[in-house]
Amino acid sequence: MPPTMTSPLSVSTAATPRATTTHLSIDGVSKRFGSFTALDNIALEIQEGEFVCFLGPSGCGKTTLLRTIAGLTRQSAGRLTQRGKDISMLPPQARDFGIVFQSYALFPNLTVFNNVAYGLRNRRVERARINDRVAELLALVNLTGSEAKYPAALSGGQQQRVALARALATEPGLLLLDEPLSALDARVRGHLRSQIKALQARLGVTTIMVTHDQEEALTMADRIVVMNHGVIEQVGTPAAIYHQPASAFVASFIGSMNFLEVTAQANRQALLGNTPCACLPHTIAVGQAAQLAIRPEAVALSLQARALKHQAGALNGEVVSIEFLGAFQRVTLRLPEDHQTLIADVPSRDSSKLSLYVGQLLAIHLPAEAARLYAAGSSQQ
Amino acid sequence: MMAESLIKAATKPSLESLIRLLVLLAGVALLVVGLLFPLVTMLLKSLQDRAGDFIGLANFAHYFQTPALVNSIANSLRVALMTTGVVVGLAFLCAYGITRTCMPGKRLFRMLAILPILAPSLLPAISLVYLFGNQGFLREVLAGQSIYGPIGIVMGMSFWIFPHALMLLTTALTNSDARLYEAAEALGTPKWRTFLTITLPGVRYGLISCLFVVFTLAITDFGVPKIIGGQFSVLATDVYRQVVGQQNFQMGAVVSVILLLPAVLSFIVDRWIQRRQVAQLSARAVPWQPTLSPLRDWVFALLCYAVAGAIVLVIGTAVYASLVQFWPYNLSITFEHYTFQGMADGGWGAWFNSLKLAFSVALVGTLVIFFNAWLIEKSEGFRPLRQGLHFMAMLPMAVPGMVLGLAYIFFFNQAGNPLNWLYGTMMLLVLNTLVHFYTVCHLTSVTALKQLDPEFEAVGASLKVPFWTTFYRVTLPVSLPAVLDISVYLFVNAMTTVSAVVFLYNSDTRLASVAVLHLDEAGYFASAAAMAVLIFLTSLVVKLLHAALTHVLLNNAQRWRQAT
Repeated sequence: MPPTMTSPLSVSTAATPRATTTHLSIDGVSKRFGSFTALDNIALEIQEGEFVCFLGPSGCGKTTLLRTIAGLTRQSAGRLTQRGKDISMLPPQARDFGIVFQSYALFPNLTVFNNVAYGLRNRRVERARINDRVAELLALVNLTGSEAKYPAALSGGQQQRVALARALATEPGLLLLDEPLSALDARVRGHLRSQIKALQARLGVTTIMVTHDQEEALTMADRIVVMNHGVIEQVGTPAAIYHQPASAFVASFIGSMNFLEVTAQANRQALLGNTPCACLPHTIAVGQAAQLAIRPEAVALSLQARALKHQAGALNGEVVSIEFLGAFQRVTLRLPEDHQTLIADVPSRDSSKLSLYVGQLLAIHLPAEAARLYAAGSSQQ
Repeated sequence: MMAESLIKAATKPSLESLIRLLVLLAGVALLVVGLLFPLVTMLLKSLQDRAGDFIGLANFAHYFQTPALVNSIANSLRVALMTTGVVVGLAFLCAYGITRTCMPGKRLFRMLAILPILAPSLLPAISLVYLFGNQGFLREVLAGQSIYGPIGIVMGMSFWIFPHALMLLTTALTNSDARLYEAAEALGTPKWRTFLTITLPGVRYGLISCLFVVFTLAITDFGVPKIIGGQFSVLATDVYRQVVGQQNFQMGAVVSVILLLPAVLSFIVDRWIQRRQVAQLSARAVPWQPTLSPLRDWVFALLCYAVAGAIVLVIGTAVYASLVQFWPYNLSITFEHYTFQGMADGGWGAWFNSLKLAFSVALVGTLVIFFNAWLIEKSEGFRPLRQGLHFMAMLPMAVPGMVLGLAYIFFFNQAGNPLNWLYGTMMLLVLNTLVHFYTVCHLTSVTALKQLDPEFEAVGASLKVPFWTTFYRVTLPVSLPAVLDISVYLFVNAMTTVSAVVFLYNSDTRLASVAVLHLDEAGYFASAAAMAVLIFLTSLVVKLLHAALTHVLLNNAQRWRQAT
């Protein structure tokens, strides 16, 4: 049973796991604007209490999908079902959601109290209960005492939290966040990220957040939906998205990634120039051009002298540049055979052993379990 | 495609979207009945003979074969072009003085400069007769030329059109980017080159737009040439003469169609310019601040105060003329003329009618126009309807008052029209005035609404609050300054207009501005002046109240408007 308006928001009641029931299912949703296809046959299920991020570059359709779920944009085709009820044709007023916009859209002429109470007023709730509920919500977002202030008198982060409290006031079953942090500066952003995540976990409200910031998605989401050109590229947990990218696009969009031009060989093998490299199982035909993707932190460097020259996946490279990035050093190497460049992140405590300098020749090891093969030319965003 | 049409068919209209649709349809109906139908009726009338039979372009052929009528085209063009030259030239210099120099007394000048807007265009014409007419105390200045004719018309029009041009050009010149001027200075550019390469290109759209607005106002004005034109006829007075004097409605329609052309042309040019003018000034522009330059500042101050002096002289003359016993023989002061003995049914009744009209238009018009603009700008769905409404809202700007008034006669005075009962009523005058001045108010509303966060309505909907609640709790209060501007604009225009309503009153609904015309025609010049002054003072008082109210409201709103 969902908590009633005045029930205390205790951890025990709010965060009851309901994770096996579907909250929202999106079934074959498409949206066309003239000849432009913003969403192409999207299918997705979102579980009760889940925190899902729509991640992708601008123009990928993530905001359109969010607005479609809210009913602010009407889909050209497809069905939306929320808690078993077909909402495809319902106007926003008849759907069950709260929303926080990028601009917050706080009403400038209303106080913080009236902004938060905006949706409660309409429900003929007694004044005393409204007061209680607003106080409760403001306490939840750490803004107790700001009731009488106007939005213009608040900082960006505070405005953001008022918008969040306003969206939660009517206890929606679904919380929609449209790039809620992108208007804030980096320090506030990091702080709010964990606050929102903690709040969501505490209330247990199913949440969908749109973002173009991969770090935001990786740190906050239970599951990430990576989108590009109006289609879903991959759905998965942050770890799965990061470690097992399903496509070259996902691999290049999340985190840093090296792409080396190779020729596919028989299973678990590719040819980099003339050097054979081991990789994870792939389905590309032998002899086809392909790209070998490997994260900079997976690349292992070692001194020439100690390199095992004839081991599969062992290569040589010349250091072209070294960037100091605090916790690690980013080393750019040139592979001698076909002048491809490779980036390796070397943790600071390892780099002293290598005593790195530009022009140095190093042995490179590409671990097979971190090397994935994708069809050539598929990484363009 | 099949699936899409199925989706559309299956859309269940909620109560809210139903209400939205009904209000939208009401808005469209208002402008169809109040603008489109009358105009179409008028166009048809120009192609019919007296019996109502279709005769093609025969009326036009007849028109162009009558030298007395065709001359008016040349006359109209002549006075309109001269007025445009005088007004835009002076207004540009004064606007430059206000925005680009450190001349003293800018605020006082701006206040004096907008006074003509508060008076009917009949007032300067009456004053000019007192100043330069056969018994005027400045008649020697004209060196034997008569004020009754093109000279008087140009002077009178220049007086009341000047504030419009000044406001447009001040706005255009205010938008400057100091960084460009600094760059020019750093490169050692001489002042005149800076003016030609930075200042003029920066205001070119504002300047062109201003030229067309002034030209349209001048060519369509009725009040000034009616009073001071003498035998010199222009298109607007021809419409009046054909209809009221000779009861030749078909020819009136023909002249109206011809009068419509320059206005439509100017409207199209203006729209085209507006579209090109998008974001000329980047958000990062730094406003340019003038520095002291005594010679330049005093030259501009002298010029501006010469203009302000002329304005005060014209208004002062009207006031004085309304107060003296019998110009120029008995100059003792009296309030006798304010009893309006020249009018059988008393002049104060007409003034009261005008007041009723102005308040009704200000109240109804502001609500209708702002709400319609909100529907167009901020609501979802019914796209064709919203676009149609927007198009019709832009149209009145291209329709001169005389044309609209005549079109109303044709449409509402038809025997078979079920709305026939409206003819001659105050309601019809309200409708006519509302439509006549619709466009400027619509544009003001749209500009104000575009400045609001686009997601207010979406937030309201997500919180299950009906759209009208969000409208009156958020949108309306936040846009209040614009709403007040619209209402005072409508009030003043309803108070001063004469061109459209001159065809539409009956004995119970005669208006003050029309009374000025009748008193003047009947030879009661001092009473005509008194009525014109009365209109001016009424507008002035309302304008001052508006300023005070805006000040109080903005002060109250400071609490939330000001970021801390």
